[in-house]
Amino acid sequence: MFFRRFSLVIYALLILIPLLIVVLTSMKTIQETFRNPLGLPEAGLQFENYTAIFQEQTMAGYFMNSTIVTLFSVSLTLFFASLIAYGIIRLNNWIGNFLFILFTLGMMVPAQVSMIPLYSLMLDLNLTNSLVGLILVNISTTMPIAVFILTGFMKTLPKELFEASTIDGAGNWKIYTKVAIPLSLPSLSATAIFLFVMHWNDLLYPLLFITDNAYKTLPLALLEFQGEYSTNYPMLFTGVIIASAPMVIAYIFLQRYFVAGMTAGAVKG
Amino acid sequence: MKISKSIYLFFLPGLLLYAIFFIYPTVSALFYSFTDWDGLSSSFQFVGIDNYERAFTGDTIFRKTIGNNLKFMLVVVVFQTFVALAFALVVLKNTKTTIFLRALYFFPTILSSVSVAFIWSFIYDPSLGILNQTLELVGLGSLAQNWLGNADIAIYSLAVTQIWFHAGQMLIIFVAGLQSIPDELYEVAKIEGATKWQTFRNVTWPLLAPSATIVIAYTTIQSFKAFDLVFAMTGGGPNNSTEIVATYIFDIAFRSYQFGYASAISVIFMIIIATITFLQFKALRSDRISY
Amino acid sequence: MKNYSFLPLGVLALGLLLSGCAGESTSDTSTEGAEDSTQISFIHWRGEDKAVLDDIITQFEDKNPDISVEMTIYPSEQYQATGQRLLQDGSTGDVFTSFPGAQFEAIASAGLFEDLNGEDFVSNFDEELISVGQKDEAQLALPYQLVFNMPVYNKGMFDELGLEVPKSWTEFQAVADTLLENGITPIAFPGADIGPNQFMNSMMMNNAPDEDVFEKLQNGEESLTNEWWVKTLEDFQLLEEKGYIQADSLGTSQDSAMAMVANEEAAMLATGSYHMSALLDLNPDLELDLMAPITVEESEAVYEGINTATFMLAVNSQSEKKEQAKEFITFLSQPEIASHYANETGQHLTVNDVEYESEVLQNTAYWIDERKTRFQPRFLITNAQIEAAVLSSIENVLGGADPMTAAEEAQQLVDENRE
Repeated sequence: MFFRRFSLVIYALLILIPLLIVVLTSMKTIQETFRNPLGLPEAGLQFENYTAIFQEQTMAGYFMNSTIVTLFSVSLTLFFASLIAYGIIRLNNWIGNFLFILFTLGMMVPAQVSMIPLYSLMLDLNLTNSLVGLILVNISTTMPIAVFILTGFMKTLPKELFEASTIDGAGNWKIYTKVAIPLSLPSLSATAIFLFVMHWNDLLYPLLFITDNAYKTLPLALLEFQGEYSTNYPMLFTGVIIASAPMVIAYIFLQRYFVAGMTAGAVKG
Repeated sequence: MKISKSIYLFFLPGLLLYAIFFIYPTVSALFYSFTDWDGLSSSFQFVGIDNYERAFTGDTIFRKTIGNNLKFMLVVVVFQTFVALAFALVVLKNTKTTIFLRALYFFPTILSSVSVAFIWSFIYDPSLGILNQTLELVGLGSLAQNWLGNADIAIYSLAVTQIWFHAGQMLIIFVAGLQSIPDELYEVAKIEGATKWQTFRNVTWPLLAPSATIVIAYTTIQSFKAFDLVFAMTGGGPNNSTEIVATYIFDIAFRSYQFGYASAISVIFMIIIATITFLQFKALRSDRISY
Repeated sequence: MKNYSFLPLGVLALGLLLSGCAGESTSDTSTEGAEDSTQISFIHWRGEDKAVLDDIITQFEDKNPDISVEMTIYPSEQYQATGQRLLQDGSTGDVFTSFPGAQFEAIASAGLFEDLNGEDFVSNFDEELISVGQKDEAQLALPYQLVFNMPVYNKGMFDELGLEVPKSWTEFQAVADTLLENGITPIAFPGADIGPNQFMNSMMMNNAPDEDVFEKLQNGEESLTNEWWVKTLEDFQLLEEKGYIQADSLGTSQDSAMAMVANEEAAMLATGSYHMSALLDLNPDLELDLMAPITVEESEAVYEGINTATFMLAVNSQSEKKEQAKEFITFLSQPEIASHYANETGQHLTVNDVEYESEVLQNTAYWIDERKTRFQPRFLITNAQIEAAVLSSIENVLGGADPMTAAEEAQQLVDENRE
């Protein structure tokens, strides 16, 4: 029993201490960090690094870009994927099955495979350094997992519901909006969170397609702080905190959904 | 039951994007892997299977990256699964404390990999040495290491970071799996007078197999995709000891301008991942029990 | 619970995507520059020069009201990786900069350099120093900065301890021993990032005085297992084993190494002249100069240091605004503008008649014409994989490998990657 408690506490500390150090370090000067990496900030709680980072960096712009890219990527992926999932379960023939397999196979392809031709394609289409380009790529790359989860869920819905509506003369669109979507809300919200975490934190695609400061998202901007401030950890951690804040706040309030979302497809999906 | 043809329109937007930005590039990668395209010029030559031959016989670094990837995968899969399962069993019952702990353990998963990379670079930093200093404090100074600068252990240091990052997520999957096991089965085991271990062995573990399959598959795929961590923490050094296939592809394509060759490696990479995942599913496949 | 809130959002997003696709993709966010002026794009990787270049651009726009300059700065890693791609459609980088070596070769073979031969402004540069931007009789790029990629040392500390600049490998070791006796690490070596690629130059310059050694390595006439490279690796091993470089150097980043020198815990910083001003920011009392270890006997020493002409200014051959681009380069190469840039950035330049104001620049300017330095050998490796192999052999030795074994392993990689 004691051992059990002890290990629970140790694990909790392993999570908490690094996070605490991040917060404390963001309130120190760099000299102080070198002198005393583990201690409390000598000058107490001070937010100079925070004001400095907003002055030196176009943080607000990076924020805006991350927000736009994430919101549009998530909502459009959900919209398109739910249309496809609905189509697959209603068709219920070889075409539907073929499409389902086609999307599922996409989950097996690592991003590095399509990355190189995708890069050329984006250059040809003039979609580099554009948020639209980034959104389109995000939608396409997360479509497989979204289709997989939503189809899995919609398959569990009773067929009679759809058939009854059809008899009542409702068209496909109407059944989709009035029946399929409201019933799929739990799996839609889970998928939404999953996609939200993924897109908000994504580094690879911004790294490939965005070079212009005006279109950088937070993770990419953070990576560059590494070059600019190299081991100026106080500044780096200030950036980390600012970039993680929305996610952390959302997590605190929507914990249940986060847990469902990040494990979507894994449990009875 | 007849369904109107308009259903086909439902596939249009998603399929269109998927085809342009996913299927087409993936198929192109296969095509380019047989060329010597540099990614810059407008022309290229077909070189047959030269790129594949080079990958298998004439590229020591590529072999090394595969080795690194497998090392990383094994360590992460074994330890992360163990940690996740062990702690899942402990925080299974829903009390205030366990619910809080689950939330806490899960927390790192929501951070971005770049943030995690920074945090752990700081922990491993030899001059600031949060980790080394802490070891000193608790009297284990002899264990202090050059965590990311020592070619023998750098990949394991990265594995620890990866486990810290994702163990909580797997823990939650296990908890969900465990909580779906009917209590009656445990009652029966109790009546039969089974020991704790027998109960685990004969009740918990078989019924946990579906979640375990998912966890192991997820973890494997994640470990292959640890691009961001390596990219931000070590850049593949020292002496290529932490270069994994994903970062190597990036280097070959964008630093050496050998798009054709990088494509060939990425195709091989895809086949390796598919094979490993397939084997895991086969090995762990057990009939799902439905209640 | 009916919640369709995301549906209209999705539809809205779709509409925006379809309508916005056309308009948004080319970036033109500049607010500066009047309606009737031509805007040129200037791209480079020197984030630390932003302020002074902004100032210079303002002056340039005042003088040339019909031209406006939009400057975009990329991190150097990214610039190395994607630089030439940016140039391809001609809309970005009317004026751009390039690194010598692999990047210069790649851009040259893609045909993206405009030949600047015969332009008036070429005569503003020191003839000796711009050959690195030439290829097949064409002046493809003009290096702007002159950097000495050799260790910076604490001259004040040397004077205090009565140490002279060593002229041979034996003398160097004696100096290092004295420093160690006084509790000072002789060399701070940032092995986690730029250490190997900077310090290799000084370490090999006299072991392999042949300037074509890397060209020969790439075409198979030379091998890393030959005396010149094995000895270089042995010298690195000696530094490591005797404690002349700090322990765990492969985990040390450049900032930590700089901190060691600024705090006078270490006497030399194995990077280059570009770190001098940063060191003085950290500790204004330092008196600094440059010094490369001579790894041979005094009589055999050919070179005293390393120079790199870098930050090479060029005009994009795909650009439609070449005239305006050339105007801007002309402006940058005016002595008074160049002097302003040099003093603000703490860099030596390749431009003629530059007046250095700061003490550090004045005190080290003698390296430009009085000392025998050679062009950074690493930049003569034009194949990125081979460069990586050479550098990894250094990391390998510092990690404890035997020099000959490390050389053989690296040579195998060289053989695999030779064209």
